[in-house]
Amino acid sequence: MVISYLFFGLLAITAIIYWFTSNQKIRNYILSASSLFFIGFYDSNALIVVLSLTVFTYFFGYLIKYKDKKGLYLFAGISSIILLLVIFKYLGFLEKTLNDIIAYFSFNSGIRTIMIIPPLGISYITFKHISYLTDIKWKITENGSFGEFLCYSSLFTIYTAGPIERFEKFRPQIQNRIEYSGAFIGQSFGRITIGFFKKLVIADWIAHFANPVLNNQAEYPPLIVLAALLGFSIQIYMDFSGYSDIAIGASMLFGLKIMENFNYPYFVSNISQFWRNWHISLSDWLRDYLFFPLSKVSSKKIWTVFFVPIIVMGICGFWHGAEWHFAMWGVWHGAGLSFYQVWLMYKRKNKKLSALAQKEWFNFASIVLTFLYVTLGWWFFI
Amino acid sequence: MEEKLLDFIRNEFLEDPETELNAATKLISAGLIDSFSLVSLQVFIAKEFGKNIPAPKITAETFDTVNKMIEVINKF
Repeated sequence: MVISYLFFGLLAITAIIYWFTSNQKIRNYILSASSLFFIGFYDSNALIVVLSLTVFTYFFGYLIKYKDKKGLYLFAGISSIILLLVIFKYLGFLEKTLNDIIAYFSFNSGIRTIMIIPPLGISYITFKHISYLTDIKWKITENGSFGEFLCYSSLFTIYTAGPIERFEKFRPQIQNRIEYSGAFIGQSFGRITIGFFKKLVIADWIAHFANPVLNNQAEYPPLIVLAALLGFSIQIYMDFSGYSDIAIGASMLFGLKIMENFNYPYFVSNISQFWRNWHISLSDWLRDYLFFPLSKVSSKKIWTVFFVPIIVMGICGFWHGAEWHFAMWGVWHGAGLSFYQVWLMYKRKNKKLSALAQKEWFNFASIVLTFLYVTLGWWFFI
Repeated sequence: MEEKLLDFIRNEFLEDPETELNAATKLISAGLIDSFSLVSLQVFIAKEFGKNIPAPKITAETFDTVNKMIEVINKF
């Protein structure tokens, strides 16, 4: 997320103009104009991507809604969006991987590597657009007007780091005039302050100690590295949930309620619950548009319990960055989800184990174990 | 519909089939069923009642109790 003087300056100016305008449709265009200015200021390529992708997706949304062969249009729309993401974010990675393979087998020449800088917010906007098209096909959202979709697509408060809001929840908020309330300002400032505290005070303070160790792990004893990893676990939560607080708080200034992204994820007793409470907008997205459809490909246990979680979480890892270590982090979590399912199946068949799991101390131990598992997983992430 | 859903949940997901279960019992928020179970439930609903409920409508908010499930199923 780009947190800057420009962000807050633009937030204040846009909010003043927004609330002095009485027509919600014009307000939506004011928000869109500010958002496009913000995106274009930091990355002119991203501005072109946002504008062209918004026109493209809106057009495909129209085809899915009003024409026959809805499935074909959905497939074409989603494939094109994914192709765009692959070109901008993963092409360099694919070329590098191919070159590494060629070098490994000692062939003489590699292929030319093109350096592509991914446009700002490309990962978030593509996921938002995929959900938009799919939800139209599933008849759980209306297409909305182009102005509403542009506002959703570009909203600068959530553009660069989410939450990955759904159009289904966003559109009803901007369809009719939002009545001004002083509470918007109070709530907004409160939430932004909490976000800043988490980010600048807690996360940055922990980073001051943890980063030097994690960047030079070979120079420190394993226990110190583990302590730094525990610190990083807290740091990344405070950092990311702090950003989400700022994004949600900034949106509140316009009377918009954006979905929550974190819900005390380190106080849960299993990895499945962790993912229901960590980066909720992403995990919900993965659940709805990947996990559910993939799980129905085959009813065989080996597929649903082992392959699907690992594939979905591997993609989740790659979504975070075009590097193998991110994919490994995802696979670590996928493996955790699989083993948790095996544990559940085993527990269902074993009454003694089931009774043991009801004990308070067992629940506490499960919370600690889940936290440690997630913390060890961060080692792949850094 | 209520009985069929309760039977399916009792037999497929509950650790102890003797556990008290009724149409108002909280299932997702109480941790009795998770995403893996919800996929089976989605398939069951499609087969049994001929209703394809999209995944975004199968959440802790909308599918937490059998009563809520019936509300959603009836909308589709």
